[in-house]
Amino acid sequence: MYGWIWRHLPGNALVRALVSIVLVLAVVYVLFQYVFPWAEPLLPFNDVTVDNQ
Amino acid sequence: MAATTDDTDNAEHTDAPVPAPAPPRRRGGKIALAVSVFGELLITAGLVLGLFVVYSLWWTNVVADRHADRQGDKVRDNWAGGDSGPGSLDTLDGIGFLHVPAMRNGEVLVEKGTSTKILNDGVAGYYTDPVKATLPTSGKKGNFTLAAHRDGHGAKFHNIDKLEKGDPIVFETKDDWYVYKVFAVLPETSKYNVEVLGAVPEESGTKKAGHYITLTTCTPVYTSRYRYVVWGELERVQKVDADRTPPKELD
Repeated sequence: MYGWIWRHLPGNALVRALVSIVLVLAVVYVLFQYVFPWAEPLLPFNDVTVDNQ
Repeated sequence: MAATTDDTDNAEHTDAPVPAPAPPRRRGGKIALAVSVFGELLITAGLVLGLFVVYSLWWTNVVADRHADRQGDKVRDNWAGGDSGPGSLDTLDGIGFLHVPAMRNGEVLVEKGTSTKILNDGVAGYYTDPVKATLPTSGKKGNFTLAAHRDGHGAKFHNIDKLEKGDPIVFETKDDWYVYKVFAVLPETSKYNVEVLGAVPEESGTKKAGHYITLTTCTPVYTSRYRYVVWGELERVQKVDADRTPPKELD
């Protein structure tokens, strides 16, 4: 999978490494900004109130 | 391995290096490819879960503290300059600050409501549901009930287990310092136990009406299985002076 991505990146090894880092950062950004905030309330880690529901 | 070596040898002999290595990879590799993709997906899942932990325990704190600081500054500005101006009692920005020396986390802004959205801003919220909190500023007898996160999103009540009987809890408003003393701790209770929020929280051992404060959060740390409850009773109210000198409990 990652090998396939690596082979399909343009340029030489250095350019590919840089593009890879940008891709990784983009994925981390999407996770932190959108995916995790969405997933967090669905997981039972952070309910702090008492209620009768 | 043998096949590969043979192929490489052939390729060298025939001077056709590009097409030659391809067939063996396809032939022996379908299962190998599937296994390697599966393995990479597992590694990826592990990394994503690791990142989620980083997000929950670190990044949400960064975001929440930033927001709470900004909001707290706004409240203080309001207090400083809003003596005569309208809107000086904007409860949406926060009604005051909670100081709990035993938790060693500075001041915690208190806002209205205990919804996820409010608590995620790194503040403590006073209950409006299922039992309405009695604000100390009202002067009425009742229970000032608060909730805040144990971990992540500012983790304002992370050290709630450090609170012991006799420890002070100070609530600061524009005009007064409300000094409470912890008198009871319930280290574990059901999340459905709304009795702890009652005007006279009997589980704390008290039977008579008074000016109480209740802190609730989740326990054990990093989970939400149970609730941790700390009760305090109002000891005295001290007027805020010109320099906002904190009461001696906060020294």
